[in-house]
Amino acid sequence: MSMTKLTLQIDGRSIETESGRTILEVCKENDITILTMCHLKGITDVGACRLCLVEIEGVSKLMSACTTKVADKMIIRTSTEKIKRYQRITTELFAAERNHVCSVCIANGHCELQKLAYDVKMDHIRYPYLFPQCEVDTSHPLYVLDHNRCIVCTRCVRVCAEVEGAYNWDVMNRGTNVRIISDFNTPWGESITCSDCGKCVEACPTGALWPKAVVQGQLNKAPEFISDLIEKRKMKL
Amino acid sequence: MRVRKAKKEAEISKNDPRVKFLANKIKKENYSPGSLIEILHTAQNAFGYLPLNVLQYITKALKLPPARVFSTVTFYHFFSLKSKGEHTCLVCTGTACYVKGAQAIVNELEKQFGLHSGQVTPDNKLGVAVARCIGACGIAPAVVLDDEVLAKVEPQELTQKIKSKLAAS
Repeated sequence: MSMTKLTLQIDGRSIETESGRTILEVCKENDITILTMCHLKGITDVGACRLCLVEIEGVSKLMSACTTKVADKMIIRTSTEKIKRYQRITTELFAAERNHVCSVCIANGHCELQKLAYDVKMDHIRYPYLFPQCEVDTSHPLYVLDHNRCIVCTRCVRVCAEVEGAYNWDVMNRGTNVRIISDFNTPWGESITCSDCGKCVEACPTGALWPKAVVQGQLNKAPEFISDLIEKRKMKL
Repeated sequence: MRVRKAKKEAEISKNDPRVKFLANKIKKENYSPGSLIEILHTAQNAFGYLPLNVLQYITKALKLPPARVFSTVTFYHFFSLKSKGEHTCLVCTGTACYVKGAQAIVNELEKQFGLHSGQVTPDNKLGVAVARCIGACGIAPAVVLDDEVLAKVEPQELTQKIKSKLAAS
């Protein structure tokens, strides 16, 4: 693909870049903060979390920065009042959908969702908590899947399919009944596709996937490990 | 690596005409993973629902990840993992049918057969479902009984008809 130089404006700053890149990539390079949740560098972006929404002049709706490619003379705004309001709404909906109880969560203090809530200054939630009945799958010898903490960002699904190549995970049902499943909704420990690599655990932004050998609050995940791994796999040594 | 329990292979009878039909369809689609939905349609129509061993069979034939197949099956309402019953009674509860008394039909079915929407009798003879609108508002209230669309349905007449169907089978 031929790269053509183009100039665009982000938050009033004039930026020169190349075609074929996403708005998110360009923003990151130029130290413009964009909140993300389902994005993980190296794996396919799906625009599922709606946190990276940006305003583009001439486009009536907000566009997700991770799936929108830059174009010449684009005028982008990333931190207007409208966007901040939407980010706050999205975060509140994340918190209200499942049973996110930070104080007893294994990921307390190391959770991307918790960090996001601080970032958008979420002090209360305006929506009724759904308190769904969620299962905890402890059938795997090494790891645990806790649906209570899952935000269905599908990072685990994509990492498993694209990086490990096992395709153990996918998403079943629709709407509030959505659940991450392994194989035919079989317990994780009985999966015939899982290779026990733990990449999904590393990629998970919350306390939904965690290794058994960790006590509460001691979890420390490294999703950038996945991004580094993808880079290293491209190297031909 | 972890020690895996020996998995029981999917039990599927190669002599079953429905399986043969399905195998033909898969061959016709050239084992292409992209034809998953087409093949699931065929299986759903042949079996009336999608039993797990059939899903395993399709997964193997198309070389697809099991989770992908299960995800597709649970996404579309047309596919069902449970049997819908040998005879199915679909009551339209769209606006026009509702105004014309669809609720009375639903209530009568519940009274006579003890079935709510989505339930099947224990002997798997009859299943009841409701739909929002089947696009037949002119003949409201409409009911689809085993692929036959019934017009201006009276609750008692319908239950009589179902009972005679159940008796005949």
